[in-house]
Amino acid sequence: MNPEISNFETEMNRGFLSILVLALLEKDMYGYAMVRTIRDMGYEVDENTLYPLLRRLEKNGWIKSKWSVGKDRPRKFYAITDDGRALRAELLGIWKKQDEILKHIMEEKSHV
Amino acid sequence: MFEKLEAYLEEISHFLSGREEREEILSEIKGHILEKAEQELSEVTETSLDKVIAAYGPARRVAEKYLDGHSIIAPAFKRHLFRYTSFLFAVHFLITAVAVIFTKSFLVFPFLLVPRMGVFDALFYLPTAFLYDLGLVTLILYFITRSKKEIKLPWPRFAVDLDEVKRPHRLIFSVLGLGAMLAGTGLTLYLYVRYHSIFFLNLDFPEPRLLFTPETGKWFSLAVIATFAVGAIALCVKFFTSSPWVDVIKNGICVIIVGMLFRLPLDNAFAFSPSARARLSIKYTLMVTLFFISIGFVVDFIKSLVLSGRKKLAKPWGG
Repeated sequence: MNPEISNFETEMNRGFLSILVLALLEKDMYGYAMVRTIRDMGYEVDENTLYPLLRRLEKNGWIKSKWSVGKDRPRKFYAITDDGRALRAELLGIWKKQDEILKHIMEEKSHV
Repeated sequence: MFEKLEAYLEEISHFLSGREEREEILSEIKGHILEKAEQELSEVTETSLDKVIAAYGPARRVAEKYLDGHSIIAPAFKRHLFRYTSFLFAVHFLITAVAVIFTKSFLVFPFLLVPRMGVFDALFYLPTAFLYDLGLVTLILYFITRSKKEIKLPWPRFAVDLDEVKRPHRLIFSVLGLGAMLAGTGLTLYLYVRYHSIFFLNLDFPEPRLLFTPETGKWFSLAVIATFAVGAIALCVKFFTSSPWVDVIKNGICVIIVGMLFRLPLDNAFAFSPSARARLSIKYTLMVTLFFISIGFVVDFIKSLVLSGRKKLAKPWGG
């Protein structure tokens, strides 16, 4: 991929991944399961980007975590908090607004 | 255990040293890598782990994503770094020149001590002084950045603004410069081989009178030849690379060459016997000339250092 496009994609992914994680964590999940779920939806996520993001979201109180030591290996499960839900609603609002603006501009262009 | 995985985690751990949550981060990464190898490559072996680790990314990059990423100097202040350093260095340079001329030391407690020194010492003192000034400005800008206050720093403008310095890139200048340098090297080398000196009292070839004694003449001549040769080599190298370090190295070598000339005793350096007064004035004329040449090289050296530093800072971060 063109490195310029790749840079833009990284920038766009940064915000999108946060919304995606907040949406996914309505159900408790651990990191690898999230990567698999997102990939099954046809979207690639950098594993090494996801974990630091989870840590930042947790630090700000938008998600919480707990270690599960069952089965063969320990896993850190994450879940959304009420603050996280409020943030998600706001972010989705912003995203919808941006989407509307883009659609509006593109429609205007197609009429010209 | 799996050696490669342990080594990988150890490397990440090294870059995360000092962070409380380091162990937890490592446990999470370890769990992820093991599970991925098991789920996607059917088995956990050194080979499968190798593939998963490669996909996870280099240890330093992985660790950097956990770091806060605060700049030492805020992007808005980066341009002030070299501007303020240049200003401070100009003051430092002036004080050094005064210290050399009046053979006095200067103390601005607790920031600055310019000791009494000779020209030769000053040549080596100035680059160090520049690094000191750069460090001091960096420290101040670091504290301003850390304070997170909305501070608007003044932006002094000089007669020559480094932002507006345009380096000539035209091939014709490089070719002409190289031609001149090669001609200079060739001519001085020819004279040196023939007369063991390139400094003459008259131009009555083929039997000119030498200006310096053989020993002094040898060192002065070799210094000039070496300076021409270094200039020619630098211009040649510039045809293949635009790295600013070429100028840094070239100017650094020239500073050392000229600096070494100051160590030569000049009292009995001449191959003729002028009057005591004439001898003294010739000696001081020579020293002043050497001083200005050396200042030129020192300024060029520092300028090339600044330009190479600016080039590095101008590169996008994390790109």
